[in-house]
Amino acid sequence: MHELSMAQGILNAVIDTAESNNATEVTEVTIELGRLAMINPEQLKFILGVLVENTIVQDAEIIFEEIPVEVECSQCEFHGNAILDDKDHYAPMVKCPECDSLAVEILNGRDIVVKNIVIEKPDDN
Amino acid sequence: MHQVADIEVAKNIMDANKRLADKNLKHLEEKDIFCVDFVGAIGSGKTTLIEEIIDNTDYNIGVLAGDVISKFDAERIESHNVPVAGLNTGKECHLDAHLVHHGLHDLPLDDLDMVIIENVGNLICPVDFELGSHMRIVVVSVTEGDDTVEKHPIIFQTSDVIVINKIDLADAVGADIDKMVADAKKLNPNVHVITSNLKDGKGLDEIIQVIQDKKDSL
Repeated sequence: MHELSMAQGILNAVIDTAESNNATEVTEVTIELGRLAMINPEQLKFILGVLVENTIVQDAEIIFEEIPVEVECSQCEFHGNAILDDKDHYAPMVKCPECDSLAVEILNGRDIVVKNIVIEKPDDN
Repeated sequence: MHQVADIEVAKNIMDANKRLADKNLKHLEEKDIFCVDFVGAIGSGKTTLIEEIIDNTDYNIGVLAGDVISKFDAERIESHNVPVAGLNTGKECHLDAHLVHHGLHDLPLDDLDMVIIENVGNLICPVDFELGSHMRIVVVSVTEGDDTVEKHPIIFQTSDVIVINKIDLADAVGADIDKMVADAKKLNPNVHVITSNLKDGKGLDEIIQVIQDKKDSL
């Protein structure tokens, strides 16, 4: 539901980095999306598509990579990537892969990270 | 001629909020203030619960009342003679640490030992935004439907206390309270689940006790 403010934050980060590297155009943007961030990638892509109009990012390919969910289980002390039971949910239930418990502390998988961009820029000469 | 370059950005969009949330918490702890934030859907009973906590405890409470238009809840809470700062989110669906930071500056922190934050009515978006509180309580009413808990797993999985409210209305709306309690415990086995009917005060003592226990444990 807050895709617009997230998209604006992403675009600001992309344009800041592009401009500080003298880019004339951004051709590719890779975004890492935590599986538990309450953001729908399709909606985010749609909003980004609107915001990039008339910027140096307007023709960029937007690539999403998923950040897996890392947990620590309070039942069996397992530490690592969780099982996501998302058969009924886009926002999945998070389970320990060792003992199936839902009593887990979520350590990673809620972030949204602009990973890298591919730019075109004038030759140094 | 142009050249192509692959540039690392590595910018975490959530970091700015997290940093501010940490700053809020540090600021509160310097003032020896305990902070609890309430989340839940529109009409779940968050404001009523906050009013009852104010009226039935001796804490020196200040309230940050968040809403798309916050004056209505803020006026209700103000009538209980506690300092209130309204946080208008306008079109946004959640409070963030930045708004809370500003709100804290509008409260007389030197006179308080507890700050209560009421989030915007929403079971989805607040999950993404830490505010800097010590404890999160989610309030869900039976009138939202007894499948509400299982439909919103992450907010119930990441909260410290789950209050299932308006249980006196369960029969009228055909809601199965036991199912809601079981769903909550399944999602979050270590959580406190409290059933309440705040109009009659049922569950209030238990809610106040878990807040006190958490406060004492710090």
